[in-house]
Amino acid sequence: MPILSVQELQTRYTDNGPDILKGITFEVEKDDFFAIIGPSGAGKSTLIRCINRLVEPTSGTIIFIEREITKLSKSQLRRARRDIGMIFQEFNLINRMGVMDNVLSGRLGYTGNLRTLFRSFRRSDIDQALFLLEKVELSDHVHKRVDELSGGQRQRVGIARALMQNPKMLLLDEPTSALDPKISRDIMRLVKNMAEEFGVPCLCNIHDVALATEFCNKIIGLKEGVTMFSGPTEQLDRNKLNAIYAMEEL
Amino acid sequence: MSYAHTATRNPAIVKLNRMRYRRSVGSFAAWLVVLSLFFFSIHYLNVPLERILGIFGRIGDVISNRYYPPDINYILDRTYFSYVIGTIQMAFLGAMIGILLSIPLAWFASWNMTPSRRFIYPPARFISMGCRAIHETIWTILLVSILGFGMFPGVVALIFFSVGFAVKLMAEEIEAIDMGPVEAMYATGANLFQVMVFGVLPQIRVALTGITIYTWDVAFRAATVVGFFGAGGMGWYLKRNVLQIESQRVAAIMLSIVVLVLLSETVSAWARKAVMKMQ
Amino acid sequence: MELHHQIQQQAEQVIFLRKRRKIILGSGTLIFLLISAWCINATVIQDTDWQRMGSFADMLRSIGRYIGIDFSLFSQLLEPALETLLIAFLGTSIGVLFCLPVIWFGARNITPVGNASYLVARLMMTISRSVHEIVWALFFVAVVGLGAMGGIFAVAFRSVGFIAKMSAEAIENIDSRPVEAIQATGAGTFQVLRFAILPQVLPQIISVIMFEWEINIRRSAVLGLVGAGGLGLVFFRQMNTFNYHGVTSVIIMILGIILLGEMASHAIRRRLL
Repeated sequence: MPILSVQELQTRYTDNGPDILKGITFEVEKDDFFAIIGPSGAGKSTLIRCINRLVEPTSGTIIFIEREITKLSKSQLRRARRDIGMIFQEFNLINRMGVMDNVLSGRLGYTGNLRTLFRSFRRSDIDQALFLLEKVELSDHVHKRVDELSGGQRQRVGIARALMQNPKMLLLDEPTSALDPKISRDIMRLVKNMAEEFGVPCLCNIHDVALATEFCNKIIGLKEGVTMFSGPTEQLDRNKLNAIYAMEEL
Repeated sequence: MSYAHTATRNPAIVKLNRMRYRRSVGSFAAWLVVLSLFFFSIHYLNVPLERILGIFGRIGDVISNRYYPPDINYILDRTYFSYVIGTIQMAFLGAMIGILLSIPLAWFASWNMTPSRRFIYPPARFISMGCRAIHETIWTILLVSILGFGMFPGVVALIFFSVGFAVKLMAEEIEAIDMGPVEAMYATGANLFQVMVFGVLPQIRVALTGITIYTWDVAFRAATVVGFFGAGGMGWYLKRNVLQIESQRVAAIMLSIVVLVLLSETVSAWARKAVMKMQ
Repeated sequence: MELHHQIQQQAEQVIFLRKRRKIILGSGTLIFLLISAWCINATVIQDTDWQRMGSFADMLRSIGRYIGIDFSLFSQLLEPALETLLIAFLGTSIGVLFCLPVIWFGARNITPVGNASYLVARLMMTISRSVHEIVWALFFVAVVGLGAMGGIFAVAFRSVGFIAKMSAEAIENIDSRPVEAIQATGAGTFQVLRFAILPQVLPQIISVIMFEWEINIRRSAVLGLVGAGGLGLVFFRQMNTFNYHGVTSVIIMILGIILLGEMASHAIRRRLL
């Protein structure tokens, strides 16, 4: 039984606009580190955002642990989103808040409105946040504001926030393209270690093919919203890459 | 606008533009319309042109004959001071309640964060536009006729005024935020209220403080005159002396209003700068 | 186990800091509430004539008086409405004329005599903006007598500050290279102003003027209350004769011309920018 099963997914931004995704099908299993590759504008980010419906799909099905995501009501969707952690390209942290509040914001789905307003999180949440900050090696920065941190450190806060949700799956939207190559590798390794430690499958959208082949066990290649390749990393060869990145220099 | 837009894209039209034919005709027509409207207005309103030129002389005359010297002793008295305090209290209260109402209204009236674009956005916009469109003096007169004389209608009028002033500015701030953190908060399973508290408020906090201080400043300016229409504070003092044609006292009161408003503006500018620095 | 203990310790510290923050914020709020209570006591509780206001039902009744429209009044409103629009237009135009020297003096990069002229211009802007339009109108009605003229000057003097301030700021932010280029050709001050500075800032200044014009319609609609012509005068008369439905009609008319002005300014701005 796969964790996530996507069938014939289609979407467009405007009613009469062109399709961004033209029928994508794939499955993510329990221990997968699944990469989505493709040139920019291929629809990678849109695909990732369709999974938790930050972008509404127009047709197709998304089944996430026996839940049909596309048919959920608003409150059911919120409950489903709690189980899906997300890590962003631009980190998407709240810059004017501290590291602690940013990590704790991962628990919002489990927190009431009044507690949110006064920012009074449960003791267990604070303990967990500190535990995760320890894991991502940010113990020394607990009391800082996130805009005092470097890019790599910020993405670690982002990882801690996503793990704070106790997710059953992680979505990563270009987690490294705002970082330099060495830090990119560190971040990918950290994510992979965390995913293995907590037993969370990852769906990662990534521009850098070298990183994808190094860290991921399965790959789907998109071009203009169409699947060009889908399968284990070992099967991806030069010819298939050329087909995906037809016009681009590799 | 459409003309300028095509001009940058189509090189052939850029050449035409160089000849400046259409543009000069357009600006000529605009000047013609403005000037004819100008002279029509002067004619229609019976404005004697020769007096426009002499107006500065008249101002000097009137000031020196009637308003000078201002009766400073009159405003140094304790009752007047208590009216000044009353005016400040009215402005404080009106602006504060106005801002407290403005924050949710601005949320509802911002296109990107409103709970419902079809049902909540339009009425929120309507309320803020209505409050802004009707001048504070008209609010005052209406409220005085409903609530009677005194500072209470003044406070309510200033609430309307502050809502009209602040909601638009705040909604613009909300519409200008970075949507990244908002998206991240949605992705954690937070509801709209939680997204507002964690994703939006921290981003607009500084701007919000600036707007709050600014609202106080303009509310004080408005508070100095609401009394003129029966709502208490310094304006009422002004009205009494205008009616009694005590011109030198009026001059003193006007002077005190100018000084107080300048003071409040200086304080507000300083406070806003300090807030911006704090970030 | 070591790790666990460390986290417990850290958590205590985090909780302590968060509590301290809450106490600081809470006491700030408390001070605020106390000031508000003091203000409410002074302005609402003590200064209101509760006897005269009567019960809540009386209050609703006095609101109810305004519900209804006096349609017969509209034909008499057209002329004052036009007058209001024209006062706003003429006031803004004259305000713009007064603005020109103030902008020239008040933009730091083109001010002619250095700090002195700059400060004088800034002071003029501040005074113009600080004085409420009603106070300006009272003053000008005293100077030129009752009628539209006082309103025009009140609007003009009130507008100078805002237009001049925004325009001067626009000029201070211009690209200085064209200015240097024109200066290098040996052009005089006015030629520099006309060919290097004006083209850069004109769209911004026009937009500011349109914005001020919209506000001026709102202002000129009330200046009649202190004797300066336009719709305000009619409003005052309806109020004094207790024709409450007529008051509603005037307010609808005011909203109408404001909408008209906003639409016009929107159309013009779209054309120009």
